Amino acid sequence: MVQLDLHAKPGKDYYLSIGLEGSANKLGVGIIRHPLGNLTPTNKAEVLANIRDTYITPPGEGFLPRDTARHHRNWVVRLIKRALHESGIRGTQVDVICFTQGPGMGAPLQSVVVAARTLSQMWEIPLVGVNHCVGHIEMGREITDSQNPVVLYVSGGNTQVIAYSRQRYRIFGETLDIAIGNCLDRFARTLKISNNPSPGYNIEQLAKKGKNFVDLPYTVKGMDLSMSGILEYIDNLANDLFKGKKNKILMASSGQITVEDLCFSLQESLFAMLVEITERAMAHVNSNQVLIVGGVGSNVRLQEMMAIMVKDRNGSIYATDERFCIDNGIMIAHAGLLAYRMGQVTELKGSVCSQRFRTDEVFVEWRD
Amino acid sequence: MSDFNHTLAFSVPFETARQAQIAQRALDPDPILKPSELSVEYSTEDTFLKIDFKGRSDRVIRVAANNVLENLKTVVECMDEFEGQKDVCI
Repeated sequence: MVQLDLHAKPGKDYYLSIGLEGSANKLGVGIIRHPLGNLTPTNKAEVLANIRDTYITPPGEGFLPRDTARHHRNWVVRLIKRALHESGIRGTQVDVICFTQGPGMGAPLQSVVVAARTLSQMWEIPLVGVNHCVGHIEMGREITDSQNPVVLYVSGGNTQVIAYSRQRYRIFGETLDIAIGNCLDRFARTLKISNNPSPGYNIEQLAKKGKNFVDLPYTVKGMDLSMSGILEYIDNLANDLFKGKKNKILMASSGQITVEDLCFSLQESLFAMLVEITERAMAHVNSNQVLIVGGVGSNVRLQEMMAIMVKDRNGSIYATDERFCIDNGIMIAHAGLLAYRMGQVTELKGSVCSQRFRTDEVFVEWRD
Repeated sequence: MSDFNHTLAFSVPFETARQAQIAQRALDPDPILKPSELSVEYSTEDTFLKIDFKGRSDRVIRVAANNVLENLKTVVECMDEFEGQKDVCI
């Protein structure tokens, strides 16, 4: 059993952690409280504040690093202030300030860590840099009480199937090119649909109205997958549709294929690929639990398709809602606090953020 | 680096020497993306944060200086809001 309380402050029966997340277009600040002792279903972490502000671009446009960084700079101090206010805590109670150290977009990451460094020095509270993917995994485990699941991490920047083994989260399969969320976001841009609250959400709503399935390329490569070809293919179909070009593929028995049908088909194809590699990972590691994390994980259709597969294997599926699925500060606070409780801290000099920071680089000291 | 013949120097006043040092240490860790074209050095003198840019062209200096000022705004805003507030419910 791992000892999580070797660094507890005397006379205090809890830990408090502030987490700052800004690796993509969401800026999040979270405050979490851990009771002493190992975290169990009866001794759970408590969310004291979880605030997010999303940088939303006009339809047809993605978010660029510079503009996103400007958004984060604009809001980060105000968001920290609001989180502190909502939680009702004082700085003196805080054990650690956590920030996303990567992976993600360089400029947004950097704009947030500056605030973390300043606050850490002023209040003399140690810093812990957190791997964004590990943040998602640990928060998912804590919220759902899943013990040792195969993790499907699907978001705008990442697509990975992960399983835990010997203090590492090991990547069993991943995308070879673009992330699934990126594929959906970019298709949303082609359709010029709203990015509010998120492009993926709006595709999901359109897909619900789709009736005809259009065959798309199916590109599972062993345990990995590729999505750029599918995106190009469906982008071309959508452009033909908008220009009114004749295309056999766009004719269904019931009439013309619609934008809704395309959204439906894209989701079905992509999610089927995810389910396939997740199932194979489950067989490999002999697990019957699946945990879905990351922004795309809030897609109900993906959860539904995964549930069908998991049910066939007599297993269980765990997913969280948008508060914890979509990028947030609380997951950074949580994962960072776990590392802090093992005695890990990040010195100022070592607090440089990195766009590339693989999930399996992190030493998961807090698990057996 | 003798061909760094463009320079720019900032001297930013703070209320206390400690504030200037905090600002220095908040900005200092991030590496320069193109060290062959630019160098940025931070130091403190009493209550002043000194930032020295040396670069190959005024263009690279302008970009870097803009970026430093943006970050500095976050640092100063953070100090404005949170300095001395550690034991207060915000």
